Amino acid sequence: MPNDAQSKEYAITLTNISKGFPGVQALEDVSFTVAGGEVHALLGENGAGKSTLLKILSGIYHADSGEIKMNGKHVDLRNPKLAKQAGIALIHQELQQVPELDVAQNMFLGNPLTRFGLFKDHAKMRQKAKALLTQLDPSIDVRTKIKNLRVAQRQIVEIAKALLVEATVIAMDEPTSSLTPIEFEKLVRVIEQLKAKNVAIIYVSHKLDEVFRVASQATILRDGKKIGDVDLSTTSEDAVVNMMVGRSLDIPPHESHIQNEVVLSVDGLCRNRHVQAISFELRRGEVLGVAGLVGSGRTELARLITGVDRPTSGEIKLHGAMVSFSDARKAIAAGIALLPEDRKKEGIIPLRSVASNTALPSLPKLTRAGIIKNREVATRVSELARSVNLRPHLIERPIRLFSGGNQQKAILCRWLMAGSEILIFDEPTRGIDVGAKGEIYRLIDRLAGEGRSIIMISSELPEILRLCDNVIVMRASAMAGKLSRAELSEEAVMSLAITGKLVA
Amino acid sequence: MEDTLITRLKNMDISWRDMGTVAGLIIMVIVFSSLSDVFLTQRNLVNILQQSSINCCIAIGMTLVIISGGIDLSVGPTAALAAVLSGTLLMAGYPVPVVISTALAVGLCCGLLNGVLIAFAGLQPFIVTLGTLSLFRALALIFTGGNPVLGLPNEFRQLFASQILGLPVPVIVVAVLAITATVLLKMTPLGEYILAVGGNEEAARVSGVPIERTKVLTYMISGGLASLAAIILMARLGAAEPTLGNLWELEAIAASAIGGASLMGGKGSIFGTILGAIVLGAMRNGLTLLNVQAFYQLLATGIIIILAMLVDRLARGRG
Repeated sequence: MPNDAQSKEYAITLTNISKGFPGVQALEDVSFTVAGGEVHALLGENGAGKSTLLKILSGIYHADSGEIKMNGKHVDLRNPKLAKQAGIALIHQELQQVPELDVAQNMFLGNPLTRFGLFKDHAKMRQKAKALLTQLDPSIDVRTKIKNLRVAQRQIVEIAKALLVEATVIAMDEPTSSLTPIEFEKLVRVIEQLKAKNVAIIYVSHKLDEVFRVASQATILRDGKKIGDVDLSTTSEDAVVNMMVGRSLDIPPHESHIQNEVVLSVDGLCRNRHVQAISFELRRGEVLGVAGLVGSGRTELARLITGVDRPTSGEIKLHGAMVSFSDARKAIAAGIALLPEDRKKEGIIPLRSVASNTALPSLPKLTRAGIIKNREVATRVSELARSVNLRPHLIERPIRLFSGGNQQKAILCRWLMAGSEILIFDEPTRGIDVGAKGEIYRLIDRLAGEGRSIIMISSELPEILRLCDNVIVMRASAMAGKLSRAELSEEAVMSLAITGKLVA
Repeated sequence: MEDTLITRLKNMDISWRDMGTVAGLIIMVIVFSSLSDVFLTQRNLVNILQQSSINCCIAIGMTLVIISGGIDLSVGPTAALAAVLSGTLLMAGYPVPVVISTALAVGLCCGLLNGVLIAFAGLQPFIVTLGTLSLFRALALIFTGGNPVLGLPNEFRQLFASQILGLPVPVIVVAVLAITATVLLKMTPLGEYILAVGGNEEAARVSGVPIERTKVLTYMISGGLASLAAIILMARLGAAEPTLGNLWELEAIAASAIGGASLMGGKGSIFGTILGAIVLGAMRNGLTLLNVQAFYQLLATGIIIILAMLVDRLARGRG
């Protein structure tokens, strides 16, 4: 238990931390403090310096200058081992666990308890792991293999691991990026327990609504510099966003471009247990939202419509004619394109240039005597890149070097070049900066205005509310309901997504 | 000035990685020419190119396969099978064009089998070609009862023994192949597809790249080039042995890797691979001139491969 003298000291104090990389100053004189039992958010756009700061705290990077104190005493964080010994634990966004080992083995990975310093003492490790986990989440069995746990449970295992080494500062990097709302509530309860144990928590997240729920204080970074500290109980979300992006976001009000012509109609579409009896119509110029919790079958639906997977039953009609796509190529030829959620995995060819990535589906149309007409490709990609405001405008640069928002723009160019009429965006702004989000929204709006039809799968209610003409809500692989623009509200979408019913 | 030079280099598409391989080759030439008077003679240099031509031929196909994210371990036995079948036809008196076409057809079929098993049955390239490595070798041995086909007619042998512009025909053939493969890789949709499939297969699928066709064609090219290498070797030896092509796959993989191809797929250069094959050939030639035992040549090959990978890693930084 902390006595009075200790509790006056901050659990961790960062003073004038700077870190430069060749060509870029990632952090410049950043200072902040976190008290024991406090949840302190670190906010900023991608590239603002949050990850660099976390890496310095966990000993992966070494600060060029500045000082870090814990409980008033200088600490040396030159390498990860020293950081761990000092009591700092980092919960990575992508959890670093061994899937084939069980919970207890993972918690003691690297420093197992032993008998006579030789044999691993499994019984004792399980016992200790269990003692910690029962406090956090009794539903986790220490003998389950990590691969059989849900992401949220794996996260809790990681937190338990931090407690095992008696960490006094726990930094969480985007802990909720793959959690459902219910799992998030569980995490909130765990965080409350950590606060009660007087652990200082540094919380990094893009989701401002969550930050406001969890954290009391926040430090806002922009371009490696600290913009300010705010007390979240007295600051509005808009004010925080303004500080993060350095300008206010002008997001246009919804404007409907919906026309009468039905371009796509889906009737009773099924695939095994993953998609069950989905029916809807999509009109020219319409933005149709697909809402629902993560895992409710939305991505699977998109994969059926775009021919990546094949339906087990049901009909897809395109301009009134029945179609059945045996692979993505057929759907693309018919004008249907997918902008996938996981751009790294399904969107980009990382080593190839923006031009190559963009032209990929259109290549057969761009050849003379079997040779790609390079100049024409360059001209057309360049025009498209300009129209979507690709930054920087370097179409020969490998796509992996672009930010998430600009990668998304490049993938959009891919389908504009291919002449796709129906664009299916799966989580269009996942992992994209607050600033670039507005741009993507305006682009979606513009595409609808040009007479393209858009299906937008999203977990972010604000973007569903802002952009969509109609919304279908999915729950447990099936359709929970349809909402027109007039019926659309956050409450309506959530109650359909969670209970399957519209609560009046 | 500098700007135009850089743009010109870019237009020539010679990457910094290829420059690194060139630098390695130059160092090797300097070392060997200072130790041996014979090394830098025109005759010896042509010799090196000729000795490297078979590995170049195999390695071009291997590079394409590696870029597509695969591997082809069956090139040696493919060559052997093509050799014994076409050699037998040759002895039976069939005309040379028919014989060469048959050899190529055999190679393409071997590649087709690999490609279909990998692309359509979804099996792993390493395992499939490990299987066909045994399979093709066994077929070649069974077909000839283990005996070589000896005494191939001179008419056939002369075809590859002559010289054009002072260079042996095999060297010219390889040069033409290398240029064709470079054009294929950099300027045609198939090349772009190969890079895309190896770079990110899922993204390529979503982008409408014909994954299966791309893979099958890539393995067919590899098989076809293996049979061409067999023809070159048959002409040189005047015989078709069912055991020919032993460990060719490893030589070709080494050349590709030295030349900058990533075994993870998505990256590689034909020019680099040719340089890689010449580096290996020049080293073997130089060490032989210096009367170094074959055991040490093997040692040097190993060191060069690991050194090239280390330089690669250091130059690119970690991750």
